[in-house]
Amino acid sequence: MSNKARDWADDDDLEETTTELPPPQTIQNKDGTKTTITYRYDEDGKKVKTTRRIRMVTHREVVNPRVAERKVLPKFGLSEKDPKGPQMDTTSVGENIIFRLSPNWKRDAKDESKDANANAMKEKLKDKTVKCRICNGEHFTARCPYKDTMAPVGAEGSADPAAGMPDDEVAAAGPGGAGAGKKGSYVPPALRGGPGGAAAGERMGGSKYGERDDLATLRVTNVSEMAEENELRDMFERFGRVTRVFLAKDRDTGMAKGFAFISFADRTDAVKACNKMDGYGFKHLILRVEFAKKAAT
Amino acid sequence: MRPILLSGHERALTQIKFNRDGDLLFSVAKDQHVCAWFSHNGERLGTYKGHQGAIWTVDVTPDSSMIASGSADNTIRLWEVKTGRLLKTWEFPTAVKRVEFNEEGTQLLGVTEKRMGHLGSIVVLNINPDINGEQSDEKELTIVCDESKATVAGWSYMNKYIIAGHEDGSVSQYDAKTGEQLENLPIHDLNMQLTDLQWSNDRTYFITASKDKTAKLVAARDLEVLKTYPSDTPLNSATMTPKKDFVILGGGQAAMDVTTTAARQGKFEARFYHKIFEDEIGRVRGHFGPLNTVAADPTGKSYASGGEDGYVRVHHFDKGFFDFSYEVERERQRAMQQ
Repeated sequence: MSNKARDWADDDDLEETTTELPPPQTIQNKDGTKTTITYRYDEDGKKVKTTRRIRMVTHREVVNPRVAERKVLPKFGLSEKDPKGPQMDTTSVGENIIFRLSPNWKRDAKDESKDANANAMKEKLKDKTVKCRICNGEHFTARCPYKDTMAPVGAEGSADPAAGMPDDEVAAAGPGGAGAGKKGSYVPPALRGGPGGAAAGERMGGSKYGERDDLATLRVTNVSEMAEENELRDMFERFGRVTRVFLAKDRDTGMAKGFAFISFADRTDAVKACNKMDGYGFKHLILRVEFAKKAAT
Repeated sequence: MRPILLSGHERALTQIKFNRDGDLLFSVAKDQHVCAWFSHNGERLGTYKGHQGAIWTVDVTPDSSMIASGSADNTIRLWEVKTGRLLKTWEFPTAVKRVEFNEEGTQLLGVTEKRMGHLGSIVVLNINPDINGEQSDEKELTIVCDESKATVAGWSYMNKYIIAGHEDGSVSQYDAKTGEQLENLPIHDLNMQLTDLQWSNDRTYFITASKDKTAKLVAARDLEVLKTYPSDTPLNSATMTPKKDFVILGGGQAAMDVTTTAARQGKFEARFYHKIFEDEIGRVRGHFGPLNTVAADPTGKSYASGGEDGYVRVHHFDKGFFDFSYEVERERQRAMQQ
């Protein structure tokens, strides 16, 4: 291979595997974290680069002498050969659990699960009634007593798909629903449903978050980077039921970015909280609280 | 609250115990070794090897020098905590379902299973507190449970009584010196076995968990039921948190029915109740199977749960836990300060 001219298609992995591994690197980052880069070969002989970003936090604790004595005990049994510190194969850290105690825990939990889904569903079906397609009676089509003997009411009409929509429906759609008359043509979400089109468009987002009232959401800025969601929740819960707390966090360091959104169940509570908490001193910084979405009124 | 997951066992957990200082955690499972862990970071200190069958129970002496474990290989074994050395093996005709040291660590009780023509019994063994000393083979006392076998047992305050929970849902009080039965009351529903019995700090009352879906707080002196905590699932374990007046219940559908239900419906959560007001105040999710055992750290900083899924989860409470109190409790505190 060496006396032949090198072809671009040649596999040149072989040469690389013989080279030495680069030495591990440690870089001190500006935000107090450390980045270590190490190289190793995996089972297939491939070179693997591992980049770890670590924040070291020194946590001091005073323990009684008996405990301190036990802390330095040599390991034994299956752990005999383990180095100091928790081992990856036996110890891991689970995902964060939100654990909040409340005297009426049961009621709260029910509210949250029911309110979000059941109420949204109820709202949707509020002005719908059950109507049979066969006899127009007030039952589901599948339950109709004439199911086997009669054809559906509109069967003759719908036999011709090119007939399109009845005239009166096109008229009802009005200027907004210009494209709706022709079946199968694309209608942008904003124009769907005629004059009320905007409302229909909004519901798309609403379905995911239930009936969240954006008007009752506060934007909190100038939040200390040491803040936790729990602390914010505690502070704002004094004014009323908080449905959501969102604290923007840096993906790498896990520190708060300095702003948060707090949604209240009730707008009047949000107004109260906004007035009271704007300018409140929290962890050496002064909070600025305003409505996330300026009210139209 | 970020739990620490301990995955040192290959099979379902059966019991976990904290030592008195709360820095060590001992876990036993249906595989054949006992694990010792540091509770603050989840580091494994070591394992105790020697049992030939599923281990049902473990307990640690008050000075954390020795642990005892009871197993389905019909033995109770005594181990040195620091090194994992086996100190003594006691043989029995049937499996050992429960062990517990008394308050001083001078005696050990063991509950043996009813099987192969042998009746269930509670045996008391003398323990030599000297770690290198000879342990005696003699049984100090044997209580035979001829009516319904005992499933759990423990020592009351001053080692005055031995309290046992039975398969038929009743709780008995025995004189710890003579072994005479003083009382037997149907605390839980008939034929709903007691699955756990854990003591308060001063051992004047205890909490029982039962398959009848309730946990009860019972006084050791006259077996009076002080509080009842109803839940919606068969319970496997119950414990009390020191520092705060809460109880933690663990349970879930029986292990054999688990595969037929979704994780959400299985009710595999640790439930927190207020000890005095008997209200449910919160739940902690996480396990993929029923919780077989829960234990609270005697220093009040954390609790741990062991599940059928083979994991131990150690939870260190955060500030919200300690701050939580009822309005009446806060009022009382204010009144006390003035």
